[in-house]
Amino acid sequence: MKKVVIPCSGIGKAFGQVAREATYLLTDREHPDKFATICLPLLMADDEESKQIVLESDVYTIDGCPKKCASVLVKHVGGNPVMELLTAKVLAKNREHKPETILDIGEGGKLLAEDIARIILDHGGGE
Amino acid sequence: MAFKPKVGLISCSGEACSGGNISRAATLEVLHHLRPTETVTICLPLFLAGDEAERDFAKHFPTITIDGCSKLCAAKGTTKYSSEPAVKLDVEKYTGDNCTVIDERQKITKSSDLVEKISQDIASHVDRLREEWK
Repeated sequence: MKKVVIPCSGIGKAFGQVAREATYLLTDREHPDKFATICLPLLMADDEESKQIVLESDVYTIDGCPKKCASVLVKHVGGNPVMELLTAKVLAKNREHKPETILDIGEGGKLLAEDIARIILDHGGGE
Repeated sequence: MAFKPKVGLISCSGEACSGGNISRAATLEVLHHLRPTETVTICLPLFLAGDEAERDFAKHFPTITIDGCSKLCAAKGTTKYSSEPAVKLDVEKYTGDNCTVIDERQKITKSSDLVEKISQDIASHVDRLREEWK
């Protein structure tokens, strides 16, 4: 079964876009055989299929701000993320990987997305 | 001078569907380029997670939801947790079902004409809603 990565995709901050980029790195570009994603709003729209996926899979949440909406919403439907990542905390480990803007996260943002994807892979998400 | 409210834009930004990326790109185009001083965005995940400030805005001021597919998660979420959006846009009505075309999920540049068309439509609705505000 594929592991599920759910970013907050917050639209107000570059960190939300970084969370989204990190997700697509895993689900579309590098490991589509191992990872999938679901629409977070659909999960909250009482979609039974999405809910079942969350309840039955290893879920990784990636949040762009401390309000941790992705993590909160997954838990709200009964899920239990195996890992809850916060982009700002990952940035704190390497401050050179700072995103620019939401429209263009820049090289720093792309590197930060790679850092996040690597953390998930190292945690066992790629197994 | 009559008060004209900012209009709240709520994009579904659905991660698993290319329509979500189109809705997000069109919304950002309006927010940052077409109507930067007339619009604000409401972060849908935050809205759904119970943020009162976001929900209060949508109760008192006009909102436009921009959904990537006909499931209309942003429109339904806004209605459920706050009030009926003034305008509900559905990307699927412009393009057909995007969600089945997973390979296209990230290729928004290919959809730039579509993003421009939708963002222009959003901007027109923003102007109309502000003009009609009483």
